Amino acid sequence: MPTPSSTPALDARLLVKRFPGVNAVDEVSIHVHPGEVVGLLGPNGAGKTTTLRMLAGILTPDAGSVSVAGVAMHEDPLAAKRRLGFLTGDTQLYQRLSPREVLRYFGELYSLDRGVLEARIARLVDELEMSSFADRPCATLSSGQKQRANIARAFLHAPDVLILDEPTTALDVISGQFIVEAIRRERTAGRAVLFSTHIMGEAEYLCDRIYLMHSGRIVDEGPLDDLLARSGQANLTDAFLYHVRVSAVRA
Amino acid sequence: MRVAIVLSILRKELKETLRDRRTLLMMIGLPVLVYPLLMVGLSRLQESQTEASEARASSIAIWGTAPASLAAHLGEARHLQTQPWAASSDAVRAAIDNGSAQPAEPIVEATDARRGTPPPSLRDTLREADNPVLAAARRALTSREVDAVLVIWPGFGTQLDARGLATVSIYFDSVREDSRLARERAVAALRTYREAVLDARERVLQLPDGFTTAVDLRQRDVAEASRRAAYALGALLPFLIVSLSLFGGFYAAVDLTAGEKERGTMQTLLCAPVRSLEIVAGKFLAVWVVATVAAVVNIGSLAATMARILPAGATAVPPSTFVLTAVMLLPITLTVAALFVAIAAFAKDFKDGQNFLTPVYMFLALPAGITMLPSVELDAWTAFVPMINIALLVKSLLAGEARGELMFLVLASSGLYAMLALLLAARVFDREQVLLGGKESARALLGLERRHGGVPSPSIAIVVFAVAIVLGFYVSLSLQDRGIITILLATQYGLFLLPTMATLLLLGFNVRETLRLRMPNVIGTVCAVAVGATAWMAVSGLTVRLMPPPESLTKAMERFIQLGDTPQPLWVVWLVLAVTPAICEESLFRGFVLSGFRTLGRWPAILGSAVLFGVAHASIYRLLPTLLLGIILAYVAWQTRSLVASIIIHALNNGIVATLAQRPDLARLVGIDQSSPTPSAAAIAIAGAVTLGALFTLSRLPPPVDDL
Repeated sequence: MPTPSSTPALDARLLVKRFPGVNAVDEVSIHVHPGEVVGLLGPNGAGKTTTLRMLAGILTPDAGSVSVAGVAMHEDPLAAKRRLGFLTGDTQLYQRLSPREVLRYFGELYSLDRGVLEARIARLVDELEMSSFADRPCATLSSGQKQRANIARAFLHAPDVLILDEPTTALDVISGQFIVEAIRRERTAGRAVLFSTHIMGEAEYLCDRIYLMHSGRIVDEGPLDDLLARSGQANLTDAFLYHVRVSAVRA
Repeated sequence: MRVAIVLSILRKELKETLRDRRTLLMMIGLPVLVYPLLMVGLSRLQESQTEASEARASSIAIWGTAPASLAAHLGEARHLQTQPWAASSDAVRAAIDNGSAQPAEPIVEATDARRGTPPPSLRDTLREADNPVLAAARRALTSREVDAVLVIWPGFGTQLDARGLATVSIYFDSVREDSRLARERAVAALRTYREAVLDARERVLQLPDGFTTAVDLRQRDVAEASRRAAYALGALLPFLIVSLSLFGGFYAAVDLTAGEKERGTMQTLLCAPVRSLEIVAGKFLAVWVVATVAAVVNIGSLAATMARILPAGATAVPPSTFVLTAVMLLPITLTVAALFVAIAAFAKDFKDGQNFLTPVYMFLALPAGITMLPSVELDAWTAFVPMINIALLVKSLLAGEARGELMFLVLASSGLYAMLALLLAARVFDREQVLLGGKESARALLGLERRHGGVPSPSIAIVVFAVAIVLGFYVSLSLQDRGIITILLATQYGLFLLPTMATLLLLGFNVRETLRLRMPNVIGTVCAVAVGATAWMAVSGLTVRLMPPPESLTKAMERFIQLGDTPQPLWVVWLVLAVTPAICEESLFRGFVLSGFRTLGRWPAILGSAVLFGVAHASIYRLLPTLLLGIILAYVAWQTRSLVASIIIHALNNGIVATLAQRPDLARLVGIDQSSPTPSAAAIAIAGAVTLGALFTLSRLPPPVDDL
């Protein structure tokens, strides 16, 4: 396990987001260090997606702060977003563009130098084995191919922080494995990775630390072994259900 | 906003759009096909139908006994086939034969005289009470047994022989094309018959030629073929242009907003380092390009079709008119593109987007349809109605009757509407909830939440300005008969000051800070007085030379400055014309608007408020002087941070000009007399120097400490 450096690459403090009638996210603090893979686990409706959207600067929190690689999101959103890659499981691509065109478009949006951009695209097409479909319209791609193109899009600008919202949803085992391997590679490259999932096996295999989220709050946090020890359970699924029961009793 | 990013977005959106067959079809395919097919098809159909019906003889039932001369005349007429007693009933035939049937008295309505309807004897068709002959004729015509019924009333021959009045009636069915034609042919035959009878009478009585005709009435249509073509085109074209350019932008707008949400790519775009304003600008430009291309293709296709089907020389509309029409498209396509993008952004998917935009489309296109009515023309009332104003302007351009003043009003108001639509679009894209498919209250969306202090934003400033101006324009139009004083007081207090104060108080802005309610310091006050006393001379001296106003405007202004046809006492003039506008207009323009624009920086704020001030005067000839004065007023207000300073200038400026208009002895002091309506060159030079000197002094003022 790589040793995390002292300053977190992603640092969110006491995030709050209210929607009419619900506190979707209630004082959630999350931090991820460079070279660390952190999981955000919770059932549907726990507030994972809203939390990740606030971390990615897509939603503005009602309270709390987010900083990416030391840049405060509310102060300089463009600089913060430039250090950040975001990917969701249900992200689609522009149907009438090819993956290569999509990558070029986003390269321009990230203000990448033309030469650097082309070199990056060439490397990603190679690494993610996309050459067979890189110039076909996205509408014609399989969901596995689409997700690979999406990974390339999220990794394109070599961000310090990767935020992945259920990246393996709707993928078969082999395509899912592609993403898992990509995440491991990014960890080795020293990036901070935060990803949400409800596939416990994935989390057990990949994560250095795990946040358990329920009803808009973080109910426990730490390395897998600590979580298991604290809950007195043998696996993550049971540990998670234990916390759900405890919070139900508290409520 | 970074231009490179906006262009990247625009390029990508256009690339995607051009790969979408639906949009392409709507944008280019439809206009290219529709006009030739419609025009050629319609004219062919009409031609062949007309040919067929004209070749066919009209069958006319003759009920009654025609004298030999009439029977022979009708028999010789071309395309007339007479059928004695065809489709009549026994009862009717018996009644006519035995002389009991008589022509019914025509019905004359009491309202006819008031409406100016001509007397029955001069009318083309008459109404009569129900009677057996009418009923029988109606049956014969609706059953299509004959095309028209000619009733030769009992005593026709006798009356004719006795040189009396012989009566026939033609019954026809105006809904049937062949019946209308039969009637025309029968009328023509009867006219020539009547001529022959009259000629014979004149001869027998040895009367001079023309005795019976008395007045030779000749009619001539002066419209050239070209103008008639333009008129026909003018009725249809504006509607087509508006509705089809709307149609072109429709799919693109839905695709780029709701479509993007549906495909889940909006979120990806939002996490890129891109401002929402850049996204909306790129998307808006893409929709605008598509709508403009669609409109230009429409006009081009129409022009080409017209050139093909009209006989040579009949293509009345010069190419320059088509070019001008294309220029008119600018404000319309800008408004439509912005409005479509803003509204489609609320939809969560493509279908939803279509459902949202269809009513908007109908709402915009259907009113444009009324411009097809010949009586609907561009005037002061219609110049401010969005979409309709442009359609009417295109119509008057085609007829070669467009007036510069109205064109200015149309373009100014359309520009205003386009700006409002753009602001709405920018606002919508700033609401993350809308973009992610969530709900948002209209109040929050329109920025109507209550503030706690602070000054208005640029968009609120523009909205308040737009509302005040459009309302002010209509109120002054509707008060036109009430006299200048009423109009002035109503618009100034009711539509400039009231909306300004109401917005400030209702939305909870800081009134003192927004309106800069404070006294200027001594130097500021002196400079304001100097500028107020001299600026009008420099500005009017300059602008009258650059752009001499037409005499009509000078006359109108003179009347305006006197507050009517007879001069009012000076204190009234100062109160109504100087102090009132100084307070009301300054509160809106140098208070609300200038403060609203403050975040844009000093010069953008000053120039922006001056442009709005110029446009508000609703006249192209007053645009330049009011723009210059607007810049001066805003500069002084900005430098002194005091609305009082600009109120002083405004009041002095208006008051002095109005005073000089009434006191020629004073006017002569600065060189204004009968021969020269503007001050002498020396006076202008001195005034300009004083104004510039005062402004320069103000520019050296240390920035006052903000004590508010």
